[in-house]
Amino acid sequence: MVALLGRGNQLITLDDVSKRYPNGTDALRDVDLEIDSGDFVFLVGSSGAGKSSLIRLLIREELPSSGRVWVDGQDVVRMKHSAVPKLRRRVGVVFQDFKLLPRKTVAENVGFALLVTGHSGEEAREETERALALVGLSQRRAHFPDQLSGGEKQRTAIARALVSRPKILIADEPTGNLDPVTSWEIIKLLVRVNELGTTLLMATHNAEIVNALRRRVVHLDHGMVVRDEREGQYAA
Amino acid sequence: MRRLEYVATTAAQGFWRNPVMSLASTFTIGLMLLLFAFFLATDRGLQAAVNVLESKVELALFLEDGARVSDVLDLRARIEADPAVSRVDYITKEQAMARLVDIAAKRPDIQIVDTSENPLQASLEVKLARAQDAPRVTAALREEIGKGVVSDVVDNPQVVDKLLTITRVLSFGGLAVLAMMLIVALFVIVNTIRIAVHARRDEIEIMKLVGATDWFVRWPFILEGMLVGALGAVAATAVVLVAAGPVMSAMVNFIEILPLSFGQTFVWQLVGSVFALALAVGGGGAMLSVRAHLAK
Repeated sequence: MVALLGRGNQLITLDDVSKRYPNGTDALRDVDLEIDSGDFVFLVGSSGAGKSSLIRLLIREELPSSGRVWVDGQDVVRMKHSAVPKLRRRVGVVFQDFKLLPRKTVAENVGFALLVTGHSGEEAREETERALALVGLSQRRAHFPDQLSGGEKQRTAIARALVSRPKILIADEPTGNLDPVTSWEIIKLLVRVNELGTTLLMATHNAEIVNALRRRVVHLDHGMVVRDEREGQYAA
Repeated sequence: MRRLEYVATTAAQGFWRNPVMSLASTFTIGLMLLLFAFFLATDRGLQAAVNVLESKVELALFLEDGARVSDVLDLRARIEADPAVSRVDYITKEQAMARLVDIAAKRPDIQIVDTSENPLQASLEVKLARAQDAPRVTAALREEIGKGVVSDVVDNPQVVDKLLTITRVLSFGGLAVLAMMLIVALFVIVNTIRIAVHARRDEIEIMKLVGATDWFVRWPFILEGMLVGALGAVAATAVVLVAAGPVMSAMVNFIEILPLSFGQTFVWQLVGSVFALALAVGGGGAMLSVRAHLAK
């Protein structure tokens, strides 16, 4: 484990990162990126621009071909395989397809994240209630995923990502499967989560949302960062 | 505690989620264990029989009537010096006759009509420590024939030879069959768990995503494999315990020389070995299967 000293307030750092897949595709090219604690960052770009590849590097689902990646003070590239679970407990992830377990209720889906990381049943119940209250799903705790709307499914996924109190929440196209009204509900929820102190990185190509919120925008194109603006706009 | 409960519940769910495959592998592993138990029991029985017979292995050196006592004692001392020999008894002509009279008294088919003459020879009875040494010792002693002391050497190694051959064949043959069954059982277990892993691939993906350790992902499957093994062991043990009595009495009647009776300790050893093998095969097979999935 390499502790990062003197790196200030940065929670995520990518240093000259490139990723080339075995089939020769260059997903990321010489990416330098720093995200401070408490930031809300949109990662934008068309399909295949490298957004998902970048996210996979942050949770160490993949390793870069070159360059270094630090998350919450840890060298993600050089960390031992046994340290990966602890990294993932500090980084919550939400996907476009929700990834809920159909045979578990809303509360079980959320509590699952704690039970499988060694927390007691009591702890899991308490934290699940807190997370469900935060996303506004306390009344739906006993429902199964197929009884929920798309927005409720995504809120369940967000509650599961937040239940272990991560420092960072990564949302990969969280509104991709949702209608515009529901999308805005999810975005409002993510803004609230960010205001409560969780750093947020959201990959999207929804220009309307990006342009309305006026947050930091990192634009990827063909694996390269082509724009990084504090209060950015996105012309998709 | 909650963690244990989670692992146990998930393992049991996994077992019943695909009952046909689980019961098929339980049956296969049960058969393999039954064979293992039979192999252990037979091996133990034959070993016991060999030990009993070995303690009875004797060579008899018939002595010339005119042999000098000093020569006989010298020969006895030389025989006793061989580490393969456990005891040498000197049987005089009179003792030999007394034995014959004794045997005749117990058997109606032998009658001794005249004991005034004693045609029997004095002998040295050699007891061996190990049956395997019988051929060598016999050959060495046969060289004494015609030197004025020993007139003949009689041995009775056929029974021991046969028994040793049977033990050897059973040991190698049994091990070979057991090894094949072990491979089959492992193959079935690996496939059963592979199906269970496939059925729960989404759950595994989420577990890894939220930071569950590999061991936390593995344990329910390993436990499921051990459950299959343990159920196979229960079935095999039940069959062994029910069938042991009739099979043993049949064997004792069939091969009269085998003193086949196992103590309580051996039964527990047998049950312990069967369960240990069952858990090792079940858990090991599951581990192989889930490791292959996690490595993807």
